[in-house]
Amino acid sequence: MEIKLLSEHYDKPEFQGLDGYKKLGGYEPLKKAFQMQPKAIIEMVKESGLRGRGGAGFPTGVKWGFLPDNGEPRYLLCNADEGEPGTFKDRLMMERAPHQLIEGMIISAFAVGSHKGYIYIRGEYNEPTAILQKAIAEAYDAGLLGKNILGSGFDFDLDVYQGAGAYICGEETGMISSLEGKKGQPKLKPPFPAVQGYLGKPTIVNNVETLAAVKYIIRDGADGYRKHGTEKSAGTKLFSVSGNVMKPGTYEVPLGYKLMDLINIECGGLKPGRKLKAVIPGGSSAPVLTAAECADATMDYENLAQKGTMLGSGAVIIIDDTNCMVDMLKVILHFYHHESCGQCTPCREGTGWLHKIVSSIYSGTGRLQDIDLIQQVADHMAGKTICALSDAAAMPAVSFVQKFRSEFEFYVREGRSKVKGAVDAQV
Amino acid sequence: MPKCKINGQEVEVEAGTTIIEAFKKLDSEIAHYCYHPGLSVAGVCRLCMVEIEGNPRLQIACNTVVQDGMVINNNSEKVKETVKWGLDFHLINHPLDCPICDQAGECELQIQYMKFGQYDPEMAEPKVKKNKVVDLGSKIVLDSERCILCSRCVRFTEEVSKTNELGIFNRGDRSEIGTFDGKPLENDYAVNTVDICPVGALTSKDFRFRQRVWYLKNKETVCPGCSTGCNVKSYYNEEGLFRVKPRQNDEVNGYWMCDKGRDTYKFVNKENRLLEPKVGQSGQWDSQEVDGVMSVMSTKIDDAVKSAGSDKVALVLTGQYTSEEYASMLSYFVGHLKSKNVYHWVNNPESFDEFDGLLLRGDRNPNTKGLLNGLDQHGITAPWSDLETKLNAGDIEVLLVAGPEDPSVFPTLTEKVSLFSKAKNLFWMSAAKTEAADSATTKTWQIPLKTYAEKEGTFVNHKGIEQKIQPMVNIVDCAQTLSEVASALSGQKVDHLGSLVKDRKTNHFINHHGGGL
Amino acid sequence: MAFSQETIEFIKKECQRYETRRSAILPCLYRAQKEDPNNQVTPEAVAEMATLMELPEVQINEVLHFYTMYNKKPVGKLHVQVCTNISCSMNGGREMAEHLCKEFNVNYEEVSSDGRYTISRVECLGSCDTAPMMQVNDKYHENLTKEEAVKLLKDM
Repeated sequence: MEIKLLSEHYDKPEFQGLDGYKKLGGYEPLKKAFQMQPKAIIEMVKESGLRGRGGAGFPTGVKWGFLPDNGEPRYLLCNADEGEPGTFKDRLMMERAPHQLIEGMIISAFAVGSHKGYIYIRGEYNEPTAILQKAIAEAYDAGLLGKNILGSGFDFDLDVYQGAGAYICGEETGMISSLEGKKGQPKLKPPFPAVQGYLGKPTIVNNVETLAAVKYIIRDGADGYRKHGTEKSAGTKLFSVSGNVMKPGTYEVPLGYKLMDLINIECGGLKPGRKLKAVIPGGSSAPVLTAAECADATMDYENLAQKGTMLGSGAVIIIDDTNCMVDMLKVILHFYHHESCGQCTPCREGTGWLHKIVSSIYSGTGRLQDIDLIQQVADHMAGKTICALSDAAAMPAVSFVQKFRSEFEFYVREGRSKVKGAVDAQV
Repeated sequence: MPKCKINGQEVEVEAGTTIIEAFKKLDSEIAHYCYHPGLSVAGVCRLCMVEIEGNPRLQIACNTVVQDGMVINNNSEKVKETVKWGLDFHLINHPLDCPICDQAGECELQIQYMKFGQYDPEMAEPKVKKNKVVDLGSKIVLDSERCILCSRCVRFTEEVSKTNELGIFNRGDRSEIGTFDGKPLENDYAVNTVDICPVGALTSKDFRFRQRVWYLKNKETVCPGCSTGCNVKSYYNEEGLFRVKPRQNDEVNGYWMCDKGRDTYKFVNKENRLLEPKVGQSGQWDSQEVDGVMSVMSTKIDDAVKSAGSDKVALVLTGQYTSEEYASMLSYFVGHLKSKNVYHWVNNPESFDEFDGLLLRGDRNPNTKGLLNGLDQHGITAPWSDLETKLNAGDIEVLLVAGPEDPSVFPTLTEKVSLFSKAKNLFWMSAAKTEAADSATTKTWQIPLKTYAEKEGTFVNHKGIEQKIQPMVNIVDCAQTLSEVASALSGQKVDHLGSLVKDRKTNHFINHHGGGL
Repeated sequence: MAFSQETIEFIKKECQRYETRRSAILPCLYRAQKEDPNNQVTPEAVAEMATLMELPEVQINEVLHFYTMYNKKPVGKLHVQVCTNISCSMNGGREMAEHLCKEFNVNYEEVSSDGRYTISRVECLGSCDTAPMMQVNDKYHENLTKEEAVKLLKDM
């Protein structure tokens, strides 16, 4: 069963505007937050168990706690560069509820003592950008942004910054580089952004969903929020479900929800006559699960980690038996080859290499040893670079080859897919 | 100060030292391409991987600061395997065209390959095609396929020359170094990018295809191009010098040198040299023997002093010579001739005090300070205008000029030669063959001198730092040093030179090569 | 082609908007592209931006060539970007892109002879539940069939 916490009013058009948003309880949690000490808010977020919803799942309150107490200005950046293939929940959130994000950001900024924030949104998201800009203007007019917000004495300015087409800007330091007007290349860590981020100043970067969730933690208290989800994966999560299901879409369910329920109940199951072959549970960089592994999988950080994969951004891609796994992997590797920023050698060269190997298998010129080579190349890309894009390419490559080896071997031997009709087009 | 263990060896370092610096301190080998001590840390080649006890993930040594008690190694199988693969990633799209690459012999890829590799490349698929033989202006050629995108050159133009010509365009394995819209890379420090390029991507137009580097020897010396005195290595064979590269000296030049300094090898070579003594004037010249000219000079000076006093003899010095040479010449003049008729020829008074903010100084002489020290010691203060007055009045019988070693830094050479021609007898001493000298209109003897690459001695830079040069080639057999000239004039044997000047260091080069005087 | 007065004003304003002038590069490149008759950013535009923004040309050029949404060569009136990433590929995105090329008689990344269409295959646009889909200039068009896509484009 869905639990609509964040998405409760997403089906109401008036929720998009300030008046409608207020009527439905909007900006009340902000008033409550202003009655609290910033440190108490950070504690509350820690207690709530909220973990980053962008992909890495790092505890949000802990991240906030890394800010140094050195009197330097701090920046709060919202990561709305939703680019992980299969992910579209942030777009929905910004389109349906821009004030939810703005409110979450004001509360978070108040908690961490930041007076300037940016929403870094991917360049393709023109409509959400326009909606956000309108909402920000409304908020300024209503005294919800700018100087002395609601008489609290707290100042916070917020602006929207559009990317220009680069997946890597979803990596938080890549995003910071981009916001600084540079190529979106991730920065060396240490220093971490909380210490030296945007323009070398302490910076917190949180995902859209994470920041929006903060509002509900204030509203319901840490315990109220923890009511949903599991011990280690608290709260609800918006899952973007796509691929071969009857009703793809965004669904908010408590963490720990059964994957098969998500597929069969929320998404209406597979198309008639099709069989589940595989699921990518957390965006295209997450290792793939076989249908057998899906049977008892639950959508939370621990269970998926136990299964050797990850919750990631909550992008669930359902793959049925009409798809060829060589083809799927080729599509995924094309993406990482295209998106590698090019600074670290193992990633720059490795993403291209992996893509070329799988492409040659796909075009019928692969060698049997290429299947092991995929694994070797991927092994030496993972964990060897500045950011995790290298790992993001390596993980699906390794898991596809390990779990669907017979399809790769068949393809090499026969020069065609094991799955009839799957890649006739050769496009 | 934190202590750590590197491959079993203990080392103590300053707080804040990175692991790669600690390796360097121990002189312990660590593979790396993008790290350069004179540039910011990029951390992108991922080759300087080390294993730190207690950390399951390998770390890059260039961006990891040594903590007290760290136990570090880069010789475990895990590290070796990673470096081997790191090298492989660098090589898969590299053209492996060493036989036709000018970097061969000093290529970091080649060096690492010989250490770790010597296997066939794993990649069976076609390599990425990129731009080749890209003309980056008058000095540099780019081969993007050889480039390993270490970004050293880009960081150099951003951080050191601050000229921002280079960038990396596109992304992933399509990334390429380049300039905006084909603009040239023409700043005064551009060729440093060739030095720091670990592979054959950036090559110097001046040097490429002229010599295989393994046929060249090199020696440490000091750039004679200006009063900064950048520490350099000169590369040579028996034919002459081929190139100059900077070497590190934090007090003087850091890691860099200017492109003008790189040209200072050219005037050493035969084609630009005065090859034998000659006598004549106004374009009419006859060859002479060194001994003959020396005795003529000696006689002319003696005659002038005897008939009209030492005032009739004058000496002009430029800042192009070693302190030892100044000492001998000045001793001869002040001690032997009892004359202070010595003048400092400032070659470019208008721009003499300029400084480009990085290394290049308007004083385009290596040893102005050494000359001034010498003049000071002997209490010589006569201004240049005195000499002009005397010459114009016809008061100079014999004029000795230690002219340019590098004529290109003497903008008013012809003008000056015409002034010097007002002396009755001109002894023009210079390493260079110049039209200006040949145009002298008085009776002139030209005497070839040795260049900085053919002698030993000291240059004192603008800060007063004394730096040694050393001989590496012998281009013109009959060329002299000023010290040799001075001893010939004073009738002393070279062996006795030491007694002429107090605390003077023995000129070994003269002892070894300059016998027979 | 020199920038219009409005664009010059825009660039100057953007240079004041962020903590550093450099941050204005991305929005100003969009503006330059919008103003270009071929929907691209030319070297001349980069040079003019560099002068107006007092930034090295190479910094702007690096940004231009890093991000895919800036066009480095001419693009048709309708820039049709068809998502061919995983969920769209599973739902006919690739076939739709091929079909559009055939229908409008144009190769990928080129401009059709009438100057109207440039077809590109692009990575995930965050609209996976509505696959296959395409972005035409600024707008998303979702839940398409090949035939619907053609009709939609012809009617624009």
